[in-house]
Amino acid sequence: MDEWKPNPTVKPHKKRSWYLAWKYKLMNQRALRKLCQTGAVLFLLVTVIVNIKLILDTRKAAYEEEEESAQDYDDEMLNVEVPRHPVSNKKVLDVEVYSSRSKVYVAVDGTTVLEDEAREQGRGIHVIVLNQATGHVMAKRVFDTYSPHEDEAMVLFLNMVARGRILIFTIKDEGSFHLKDTAKNVLKSLGSQVAPFLSWRDMWTFVGKKGGEVYGEKHAKSPALSTWGDPVLLKTEVHLTSVEDAECHWPDTELNRRRKRFCSKVEGYGSVCSCKDPTPIEFNPDPLKDNKVFNVPVAVIAGNRPNYLYRMLRSLLSAQGVNPQMITVFIDGYYEEPMDVVELFGLSGIQHTPISIKNARVSQHYKASLTATFNLFPDAKFAVVLEEDLDISVDFFSFLSQSIHLLEEDESLYCISAWNDQGYEHTAEDPSLLYRVETMPGLGWVLRKSLYKDELEPKWPTPEKLWDWDMWMRMPEQRKGRECIIPDISRSYHFGIVGLNMNGYFHEAYFKKHKFNTVPNVQLKNVESLRKDAYETEIHRLLGEAEVLDHSKNPCEDSFVPDTEGRVYVMFIRMEQEADFTTWTQLAKCLHIWDLDVRGNHKGLWRLFRKKNHFLVVGVPASPYSSKKPSSVTPIYMEPPAKEEGAVAVPAVAAAEQT
Amino acid sequence: MQKINKNVVLALLSLTSLVFLLFQLYYYRFYLSQKNGAVFSKVRGSQSGEDSTRWHVVRKFLGLISSHNIPVYLIDPLILGLIDKDIEQIRSSPDGPSPECKYFCAPRDFTTFALLDKTWKHEVGLFRTAEKMGFQWLKIINKDPRLDGMDDLSGIEIPLHYIFKLASHAIHLVVFYERSGNYLWHGPLRLKQHMDRKFVPFRKLHFGRYPGAYEKPELLLVSIDDLKVQIPKNPSSFLEEMSHSRFLECRYREARAFFQLYPDDASLDAVEFRKKAKSLLHLAALTLNSLGVKFWLSSGTCLGWYRQCNVIPHSKDVDLGVFIRDYKADIIPAFQKAGLPLKHKFGKVEDSLELSFQGEDDVKLDIFFFYEEDDHIWNGGTQAKSGKKFKYLFPKFTLCWTEFVELKVHVPCETRQYVEANYGPDWKVPVKMWDWKSSPSNVQYNGVWPVDEWDDVIQIY
Repeated sequence: MDEWKPNPTVKPHKKRSWYLAWKYKLMNQRALRKLCQTGAVLFLLVTVIVNIKLILDTRKAAYEEEEESAQDYDDEMLNVEVPRHPVSNKKVLDVEVYSSRSKVYVAVDGTTVLEDEAREQGRGIHVIVLNQATGHVMAKRVFDTYSPHEDEAMVLFLNMVARGRILIFTIKDEGSFHLKDTAKNVLKSLGSQVAPFLSWRDMWTFVGKKGGEVYGEKHAKSPALSTWGDPVLLKTEVHLTSVEDAECHWPDTELNRRRKRFCSKVEGYGSVCSCKDPTPIEFNPDPLKDNKVFNVPVAVIAGNRPNYLYRMLRSLLSAQGVNPQMITVFIDGYYEEPMDVVELFGLSGIQHTPISIKNARVSQHYKASLTATFNLFPDAKFAVVLEEDLDISVDFFSFLSQSIHLLEEDESLYCISAWNDQGYEHTAEDPSLLYRVETMPGLGWVLRKSLYKDELEPKWPTPEKLWDWDMWMRMPEQRKGRECIIPDISRSYHFGIVGLNMNGYFHEAYFKKHKFNTVPNVQLKNVESLRKDAYETEIHRLLGEAEVLDHSKNPCEDSFVPDTEGRVYVMFIRMEQEADFTTWTQLAKCLHIWDLDVRGNHKGLWRLFRKKNHFLVVGVPASPYSSKKPSSVTPIYMEPPAKEEGAVAVPAVAAAEQT
Repeated sequence: MQKINKNVVLALLSLTSLVFLLFQLYYYRFYLSQKNGAVFSKVRGSQSGEDSTRWHVVRKFLGLISSHNIPVYLIDPLILGLIDKDIEQIRSSPDGPSPECKYFCAPRDFTTFALLDKTWKHEVGLFRTAEKMGFQWLKIINKDPRLDGMDDLSGIEIPLHYIFKLASHAIHLVVFYERSGNYLWHGPLRLKQHMDRKFVPFRKLHFGRYPGAYEKPELLLVSIDDLKVQIPKNPSSFLEEMSHSRFLECRYREARAFFQLYPDDASLDAVEFRKKAKSLLHLAALTLNSLGVKFWLSSGTCLGWYRQCNVIPHSKDVDLGVFIRDYKADIIPAFQKAGLPLKHKFGKVEDSLELSFQGEDDVKLDIFFFYEEDDHIWNGGTQAKSGKKFKYLFPKFTLCWTEFVELKVHVPCETRQYVEANYGPDWKVPVKMWDWKSSPSNVQYNGVWPVDEWDDVIQIY
C-alpha cells in the first residue's frame, strides 16, 4: 500500500497550468469555491471510510479463514520445528588425530568422531572416511592388523572408498604385525611416507585425500620390542570442496536420487556408489508363476551391521517372486546406517528401542518385530522371518510357494525353514528333496500367525529372562512335538559370524562349508509326502529299499560308503533312549557336520548324502525304525572322548545362531 | 495567497485520495480474484463457467491415477447421496452417456476419493506427474497407529491424506489402511506447524476431523457424467456407516504407564484366561453382528480396554452392553447355536434385562441391556436369592469404534465418563475384590421384584 505515495508529489506539477486557468475563472465565485471545498472534504471522508472498511474486511476474512483451517485440524502434539542446522559455509576443517598404546581419538572441528580407550579392544588401524564437501563421517572401521588377514580386508575397504574422500588413519596398540606389503603399498599410494616402514608397536596418524593431497602424517617409532612408541597427536587442516565436486552425475531418476542420498552419507559399499558404472539397486527378478507367498510379509531382523544388511537385501531382492512391498526391516536400535541401506533399496524400515541386554535384547527385538509384522499385515496368515546375515537363494520364494500349503494344512508342523543344519557341501545333494525334522533350524523360516498369536506371543520370554528366542522356541513346552520342513540343500546361507563383524566380504571366502542352492525354479519332489502320515510311509519305503552298509568298517572312513551314485544306504548306531545322542555326536564330528548339538533328526533317524548316495542313520533301539535292522547287524557304538564336550558346546551354538 | 494555498492543499488532498481510492479498488479486485476459498466462494460459485471446473479437475485426477494404476473409489458423501437416488438406473446402464452433468458439476470446493493403502506402491512418480499436470498437492502424514500399541517401535510415519488442488477445485484423497480385526481405518487430518493452513478450507472436508473405521466395501465401476469411477456398491449403506464411523485409538501410552505402576500378570493362568476371553469375545461379536445387534464393551471389559488396552486377567468374565431397543428374541437361541448356553436371565425386556451365557471353562459372557432416559442411561441388576433390584446409572453417551484384541468393536465415545460412573474416580487402581452390588459408584437400590414374578425375572440354568 505504500507504492502510491511518491506519485502525488509529481502530479500537481503536471496539473499546474490547468489549475491556474481554473483559479482565475473561479476567483470571485465564492459559493462555488466553497462547494468545491466541501466536495473535496466529503471525498476525503469517503476515501477514509472505504479504506477502513477494506481493512476491516480483509482482516475479518483472513481471520475467519485462519479459524477455519486451523481449528480441529491442528496437530495436538507440539510439533515445534527444530531449527535446521545452518549450512556450514566453512571451507576448512580442523582435524585432530591421536594415536597411542591405550587410546585413540579423532576430532573434526572440535567434535569427537572417534574415541576408543577401552582395554583389550580396538587394537589395530582405525580408519575414518569423511565426506570431502561436508566433512561428515561416512564410515568408521577398525582393522586389527596385528592379526592375520585383516590387512586384506583393509585393502578391500580402501579400494572401495570413492576418490576424493578424506581418509584418517590412527593406530591403537599395535597395527603392523600382520600388515603385509600389499597393504603397505596401498597406504603408500595414498601418500603416506611412513607406511612402508611401519613396524612393531609404532604409533602413527595420517590424514589424506584419496587420490589427492596429504594433509598430515605423524609417526613415533617404538624404541624397543617391549615398549610402545610415544603417543602422537596430529593437528591439521582439511580444505573442503564444493558439493558438486563430491557427487557423481548420474541421470536424474528416482532410483538415482536414492542412490545419491545414500552415497553422500556412507562409504564402503563398493560399486553402488561408482560414478561411472554403478551397480543396480533395483533387480526385477522374474516373477513366479502362481506365487503362493507373494502376499506373505517378510520381516528382516537386523542390528547394526549395515554391510551385512546390504548384502542380505541384495540377495533377497534378487530372489524370484520377491515382493518388495511386503518386506519390512526391523532395526534393533536407532542406528542410522542400516536405515540408510533400507532406504537405498526403497524398502520400509522400523527402528526399535533396545530393551534389556544380550540375548534377551535379541529376543525382545524378535518379539516386537513379529508383533509389528502381523499388525502391519493383518491379513497375513504367515510371516517369513529372515536375519541380516543371510544370503537368500534365488528360488527361496519358489521353495516356499511350493510348500507353504503344508504349513497351513498340517497341524503337526511347526515351521518351514530354508536351512538344513546338516546340509554341507559333502552331505547335501538334491535340491528338490525335503525333510521333516524335529529341530527348529531358523535362519530363514516361515511362522504361522496362529502359532505366534495364540501360543508364542502371550508367553514370550520377558525382558528380564536372558534366554535365546530360538532355544526357547525349541523347548518341548513350545514345540509340542511338532516338526519343521527343511530342504536338503539350504535356501539360505549364513554368512555372518559373531566376532567377525564388519568384514563380511572378506570372510565369505572362508565360510564355504554349507551348501547353498543357486539353481532357479527347482521343482520340489513329492511335496505331499511331507505330510505327517505320508512321511512315515515314505521313510518305510526308503528303509525298505536301502542297502545295509558293512557295520564292521569304520563309519568315519570314506570307504564306509561304496563308490556309487544315487543309491540308498542305511547304517545303525546305538541310541539307548530318545535323548541318547552319544554315538550320533561322534559320528557327526567325524563326518564334519553340525555336532555342537543334535539337529536334523526325525524319530531317531538322520538323512543326508555321502558320495552322492542317500545315507540314512538309524538310532537303535530308540528309533521306531529300529525294526528295519537285520538281526545280524550290531549297531555301531562310538566312544566320546574322555572330556565331555557336548555340554560345554551348546551355549556356543546359541551364540552363533543369534544376531 | 493564503486562499490559493488552501486551494492547492485541498486539490492535492483530493488528488491523493483519488489515487488512493483507485489503488484500493484495484487492490480489492486483486484480493477477490486471489481467493478461491471459503469467504467468497459463494459469490463465485454462482457465476457461470465455474461449474465445469470441478468436472475437469475430477477428470484430470482420474486420468492421473489411472495412468499410475492406482485404484481409487469415490466416497464423496454429497455425490454418493445424489448417486444413491439414481442407483438403480446407474446400475442398469453402466456405460450410457449422460445427457447432462448431474453429479460432478455442482460447485463444491472438494471431491473426496478413497485409496486402499495396500493397493499402491507409494511411487513418487505419481506426484511428479501430478505436478506436471498442474496439480498442487499436500501430503498429511502421521504416526502409524498399527504400531502405536507397541513398546518402543519407531520409524515410519504413514500418509493419511492427500489433497490435490487444481484451479479452484481440490481432490481430497483419504488413505485407508487395513487393520487387525478385518476392517479399514483412516486417520485424522492434523496439520503440522509448518503446513499451509490455507491450502484448502480444511474445515469443510468431510473426512479427517476424526479417524474412522469402516468395513471393507464392495466396489462397483460406474460411468456417471461421462466419467468412469468406482463407487461403493451400496452407497446408502456406506453413507450410513460414515455417519457413525468415528474411531477411538486405545490409549496405549497411558496403558504403558499403567503397566509401569502395576506390572502385567504374566502367569500361565492369566495367559490362558486372556486367550479364552478373546475367543469368547470374538464368538460373541460374530453372533451379535450376524443378528445386527449393536453392542459395546461394558463394565470390566471396557475398563480393561480403556485402562490397559487388554483384557483384565482377574476379571473372569466378558461384559457387553446393548441398548434395549436393539433387543431381539433371537439372541438367546443364536448364542445357544454358537455353543454358548444361557446361564441365567434376570429381569424382563421392560425392566432390568440381563443375560449371561456360559463360555468355555467358567468364562462367562454377560450382556447388560441399557435403558435410555431423558438425561441418563441405566442398566439393571438382580440378586438371585433375595430378588433385590439394582440400578446402575450412566451419563448419556454415543458409540465409537475401536480395536480390541484384534476385533473392531464399539465403546462409548465418552469412555472416561462411562468408566468413572461405573468405577469411581479411582478406576486407575486395580481392585481384585469387586462386589457388583456395592462396589460400583453408580449403583442404586431399586426395590425388590414382586414374588409372583420371580419365576420369570430370575431364571438360572
